[in-house]
Amino acid sequence: MMLQYLIILLDDMSVSYCHYENPSKVRRLIDLDVLKRGIVWGMKENLNIQFVYPDDELPQEYNEVIESIDHTKIKPQGQDEDADVVVLTEWNGEDVEVKSGVSYIIRTTREKLRGAMSSVHALLKKVNRLNIVMTDVEEFKDGDIDDYKALLEELKECLVDLYGQERNVQLNLLTDRLLLSQMNNCGAGDSTVTLAPNGKFYLCPAFYYEKPMDDVGGLDVGLNIKNQQLLRLDHAPICRHCDAYQCRRCVWMNQKTTLEVNTPSHQQCVMAHLERNASRELQSQLKRNGMKLANSLDIRKIDYLDPFNNYNQWR
Amino acid sequence: MDSRIVMDNKIRQDIPLWENGVAKNITFIVTKDCQLACKYCYLVGKNSKERMSWDVARQAIDYVLSQKDYNQPSVVWDFIGGEPFLEIELIDRICDYIKTEMYRLQHPWFNSYRFSFSTNGINYHEPRIQHFIEKNRTHLSIGITIDGTEKKHDLNRIYKKSGRGSYQDVVRNIPLWLSQFPGGNTKVTISSDDIPYICESVLHLYELGIKDVAINCVFEDVWKDGDDVVFEQQLVDLADVIIDHELYQEHFCSFFMEHIGKPLNPDTDNRNWCGAGMMLAIDAAGNFYPCTRFAQYSLRNKPAWIIGNVKDGIDSNKLRPFLTLDRTTQSAEECVNCEVASGCAWCQGENYDAADTHTLYQRSTAICKMHKARVRANNYYWNKLFRKLELEGRREEFEKQKEKVKNPVC
Repeated sequence: MMLQYLIILLDDMSVSYCHYENPSKVRRLIDLDVLKRGIVWGMKENLNIQFVYPDDELPQEYNEVIESIDHTKIKPQGQDEDADVVVLTEWNGEDVEVKSGVSYIIRTTREKLRGAMSSVHALLKKVNRLNIVMTDVEEFKDGDIDDYKALLEELKECLVDLYGQERNVQLNLLTDRLLLSQMNNCGAGDSTVTLAPNGKFYLCPAFYYEKPMDDVGGLDVGLNIKNQQLLRLDHAPICRHCDAYQCRRCVWMNQKTTLEVNTPSHQQCVMAHLERNASRELQSQLKRNGMKLANSLDIRKIDYLDPFNNYNQWR
Repeated sequence: MDSRIVMDNKIRQDIPLWENGVAKNITFIVTKDCQLACKYCYLVGKNSKERMSWDVARQAIDYVLSQKDYNQPSVVWDFIGGEPFLEIELIDRICDYIKTEMYRLQHPWFNSYRFSFSTNGINYHEPRIQHFIEKNRTHLSIGITIDGTEKKHDLNRIYKKSGRGSYQDVVRNIPLWLSQFPGGNTKVTISSDDIPYICESVLHLYELGIKDVAINCVFEDVWKDGDDVVFEQQLVDLADVIIDHELYQEHFCSFFMEHIGKPLNPDTDNRNWCGAGMMLAIDAAGNFYPCTRFAQYSLRNKPAWIIGNVKDGIDSNKLRPFLTLDRTTQSAEECVNCEVASGCAWCQGENYDAADTHTLYQRSTAICKMHKARVRANNYYWNKLFRKLELEGRREEFEKQKEKVKNPVC
């Protein structure tokens, strides 16, 4: 895959929209000149640009520069007037005002999600698309399988109910897989690269926050991703045999847990497969209810939750 | 003659590995100290401080013997350093404990275990070492490293303190060693400066009574322009002597192997070369590694790859990249499509250490020109030998049957 997206972090305190935590406590706005050069670089590389916003408003001259190019805005709740993607920090579904055509993200642990399922139900009634990003993947244990299964089951029932009312909401954990016939991963370093406020490139925002020395070039020296092939699916021995197509295949978590960007942890695999299997059940139930699912291939039954355990069959 | 030796048309072959190499390998890095400071040694962090304590060793043994998912029928308990025999008292205690525990637990390995050592041979004759050997004789594999002639050996294998060559102190122990282990083989390492002495060194080892010589070029990027030319000529000279004097009937040199230098099928010949990750190494701090080459004292550029420790056990996530390694994913296209790929080895630790990023999946190609030179000399060897033995048809058949390169998986 070739590079398609440029993510520009507008500030060190830009909102996290993914698995990583943003540890920054101090604002550091991207230099206006760096922003301009970043945009020009993205234009020359023919990339779609996604700006990630902090809590505070930007100076007017920044907004003018940003509006000089087609882009997507990822914003935190409260700054979301013209956002394309909103990260919800408070997500009591009853209170959240939503807009049509906007995607919403909640970042949560299983425990927090379990305690707030009614809020999620309320959100799903309102939004077009909701992404639930689990932030405690690393802590997942095999003893948590039933717990996560139950959470996904509850979400599935909610979707079945909503679809019955002809409300076609998307929920990343369960509906993405229905529409996919191949991997649709995050693409960090492969289809996507991140420009940080320091003018350097990173595989994704997580690498900037966790390992600022691990840049992959910068505006001054150009983009230089060494061993870039390892970020591609065909160089990921476990993932290239996997059909949990909705998995983000997070290379940052890969490196953190297995020390290799091309190898997912057991936890990432098991959670992705529980989601895949719950998607399968959703697919079956919707079909039983007479719903026609365009472009949805049957998800087959499998007897493993971690493809690594199945390794001998495909090596 | 050693009953394990495989003869094929009067050509002595390599000795098969014990239990066909399917044993679990547990390595104790008992010390990072050594009397020598060999110039080609990959151990960049040797020191006299990191000596394994009994407590760490015992915890490691308890951990290993409690694992239910080690399904290999046999085990090799390996002891390395530095120089392992510097810690013979600890090793003796470890081995006693292993035997006692395997018996007490009725562990399947009790009936199928080896204690294995690679030693520089300097203190081999000492009573405390000999006592240990006598006590464990039937379960021992010991390899003494001697690099060849005195000149070649002393070029690299010198004393840490005096800088003096160690040849004389090693060679005096060879007869005793061979009397105890008649099939004893040695492992010779070739670096750039050694190349002109390869032929005479292998022949010297044969003269000493060592019939199996495992020999390889270092994997590090040490090779100079023209090294491959001299290397090839040395191997051709060696081939001539081995064949003309019919040494091939009784002797083996790992440089000459019939199967090397052929294309490899990306689908069916896609296995990783080495066993890193299948084995387990433990150091003095009680840390676990997928192989000793991933301990910090072995690494020039990268941080140690620790997969656990004696207290917390193994973090299986950190083993996953090792257990899914295959040849094509870590190889450059040039290597995948190489017409002489078979027998081209790599060291996973050196790959990691030399890689541009923190990865196992970037195969170092520093050895490429040396492998190609070896292949040319190897072809010469087998063509000449088969001609002599009137087995030319076998060579032709081999060439006809060899794999054609297919498009790689990745």
